[in-house]
Amino acid sequence: MKLNKQEFLSLAALGHETLTAWIEEEWLIPRGSVDEMSFSEIDVARVRLIRDLKIGLGVNDEGIGVILNLLDQLHGMRRKLIDLREVVRTAPSG
Amino acid sequence: MKDPYEVLGVARTASAEDLQKAYRKLAKKLHPDLNPGDAEAEEKFKEIAGAYDVVGDAEKRKRFDNGEIDAAGAERPRQSYYRDYASSEENHPYRNNSGFADFMDSEDGFAELLRRSARAQANRRGHDIEYRLPIEFIESIAGTNKRLTLPDGGTLDVTIPPGIVEGQVLRLRGKGAPGSGEGGSGDALIEVEIKADPSFKRQGDDIYLELPITLTEAVLGARIRVPTPTGAVTMAVPKCSNTGTVLRLRGKGAPRHAGGYGDQLVKLKVMLPKEPDPELETFVSGWESGKTYNPREEVAT
Repeated sequence: MKLNKQEFLSLAALGHETLTAWIEEEWLIPRGSVDEMSFSEIDVARVRLIRDLKIGLGVNDEGIGVILNLLDQLHGMRRKLIDLREVVRTAPSG
Repeated sequence: MKDPYEVLGVARTASAEDLQKAYRKLAKKLHPDLNPGDAEAEEKFKEIAGAYDVVGDAEKRKRFDNGEIDAAGAERPRQSYYRDYASSEENHPYRNNSGFADFMDSEDGFAELLRRSARAQANRRGHDIEYRLPIEFIESIAGTNKRLTLPDGGTLDVTIPPGIVEGQVLRLRGKGAPGSGEGGSGDALIEVEIKADPSFKRQGDDIYLELPITLTEAVLGARIRVPTPTGAVTMAVPKCSNTGTVLRLRGKGAPRHAGGYGDQLVKLKVMLPKEPDPELETFVSGWESGKTYNPREEVAT
């Protein structure tokens, strides 16, 4: 599902200034151009995660950047594992 | 619902700070996004988050302690987590491969596997896309051409072969989502839904039709026009045809899988005139054998 800026802000319950600050920090990476940003469900879930870390767990802003970076590496590796499983499964044995 | 203090492992007298500390300690371990591979993390986290929703809020905690609310109201609805999207095969801007980039550069068999999976990913076939297409009964027997309007505004021309049955899926190769690289597009899968027809019913390859005829046609016999899904045909109604008599129109049914056609079976239904008819009444009252015939002989009374 493709969301424009307004839809994203209301779905994620996020303010304009917070969005700008989080994009600056690279916590969020919108698609499209600066004038016509577009988002999707993954960004909404990411906002929820950031909020859980910040408010729920009391992680400070420096910590959040570190966690997001490590988490994205972890997901990159998980994706690679899933792809590898497919390659191993379909490869001729021997 | 368990006692929220028990869930968080604190005494009922614990301070707000202690409660928060206990919650954070558990949440750090159990948050689903900090445990991407633990399918049960969500259930466990829901429990502690629900408990903290109640006793982590001073006002709610007071009401809970006074027995005004119970912990059941704290059930959190199912929500999606970042982990539900982050490992998916769809491309997103947060993808980060630096965790294993160095493995790719070596010369061993494992690196070769990694590179092969990267190639496979670059040339992934597009997804199949499913559609539902409602058609008229007559179209299902005779076949037709349909144009589907797609969500993105494009169109898709579909040829419905004659004799298609409910739920049959037509596969249009390469009409699904585009793939990446040389992966090629997926297929469009079109599930056909046949609308019910007020007159025709299908059973196997045969088609059933109930056809009203007049008293005159029933008694004297006649040649009448009968609708079939492929157009009207002439049928001979023999003399003395009764309600319930079934006449067979060979080859006027649905196309058979193995070739040829099923039959259309026409069940007659004798209809008296809609309005009372004095002439008919006079005739019937003078009709002697009509008074002795008992059609209910075999019906238990």
